[in-house]
Amino acid sequence: MTEEKIEIINKLGLHARAAAKLSHLANTFDSDIFIVYNEDKVNAKSLLGILTLAASIGNYISIIADGKDEIRAIKEIKNLFKKKFDEES
Amino acid sequence: MIRINKGIEINKIVDQNDLKIVKIYNKKWVTNKIKHPRAQKPGLAIAGYLKYLSRGRIQIFGKTEIGYLNQLDPEKKEMQLKKFFSIKLPAIVISEKQPVDELIISIAMKYKTPILISNLNSSLLTSRISSLLYRHFSKKIKINGVLMDILGLGILIKGDSGIGKSETALELVNKGYNLVADDLIEFYLNSNDEPVGMSIEKIKGWIEVRGLGIINVIDIFGAGAVLEEKRLDMVVNLERWSNKKKYDRLGEGDLYFQVFGKDIPMFDIPVAPGRDLSTLIEVAVKYFISRKNGNKSFIEHIYGKEEK
Repeated sequence: MTEEKIEIINKLGLHARAAAKLSHLANTFDSDIFIVYNEDKVNAKSLLGILTLAASIGNYISIIADGKDEIRAIKEIKNLFKKKFDEES
Repeated sequence: MIRINKGIEINKIVDQNDLKIVKIYNKKWVTNKIKHPRAQKPGLAIAGYLKYLSRGRIQIFGKTEIGYLNQLDPEKKEMQLKKFFSIKLPAIVISEKQPVDELIISIAMKYKTPILISNLNSSLLTSRISSLLYRHFSKKIKINGVLMDILGLGILIKGDSGIGKSETALELVNKGYNLVADDLIEFYLNSNDEPVGMSIEKIKGWIEVRGLGIINVIDIFGAGAVLEEKRLDMVVNLERWSNKKKYDRLGEGDLYFQVFGKDIPMFDIPVAPGRDLSTLIEVAVKYFISRKNGNKSFIEHIYGKEEK
């Protein structure tokens, strides 16, 4: 199991489009992937789940991945946050 | 299971239509917080026995309480009420629209206690307020899956992401069954100690179907297609078909899913082409009901029912 704390740095936070990109990416991995924010833990592969978090800019979330490709999963998800979901240039 | 962390404002109680609150005195204090998961009918406490009266607990005045107060002489009444209200109670609810006199209102005002007048009788009030408070106070857990009402039973459909839970739910809604929550379900223990699931407000009535996006079940199928909450009776676990795994071939049904430490009967249903999941689930529910009614399983049919 790998866990990593990530800061949300895009303006709109985990809004619908960003969440869709995130769950799309998460679905490409075999590992179970979860997002933890405050006391909530949701499946990163489910879009509606991510949307209930309503995490916004400046918040920290934790990504937990468990499975064969967990390290690659965390790396790529972290990268997605880092490049602000490709929505700001 | 009860965690008294945050209270609930009286306001929230008043908003509930099913409590039939028709009038509020001392409205200024409706921001008071209830900090106890059960309502209390004070009974003897009004007569001065205050030992078990607790501070954060909402009080219900039925015919007994009001009747007792009305037959006291004014001086004694004032004294008793002062003692009673000095405990600082979050609110008093009066049943059956009984009239309250100025004395009660003014003393309650002095101790910052709002008085709510309800249309309901006191036993209905107690049970409705209790179930409302339980929903608020009990510990909540979130579970991934879909919760549906099928033939009156609460069915949780679980399974890996992308296995087709939401699609199956959509088929079931199309067959006329009700959706409670898609994707993320919040469970709590009700006053009867049974797990009850509900949707998270933000995504209530929405369902994600790959290829269609996030669709609103209420808009498409009508308000009747979505239920507020449902007690959990059975779990269906969808899995990718595996040749290695032994599936229940005889219907012995010894699988359970645990919620709040309670065993909920579960069926593992393998997903493979040609298996119509919504029909399988529908039949699983009918089978479950039939078994509950005491009908025989195949094993019992062949070998006879074992004496227990």
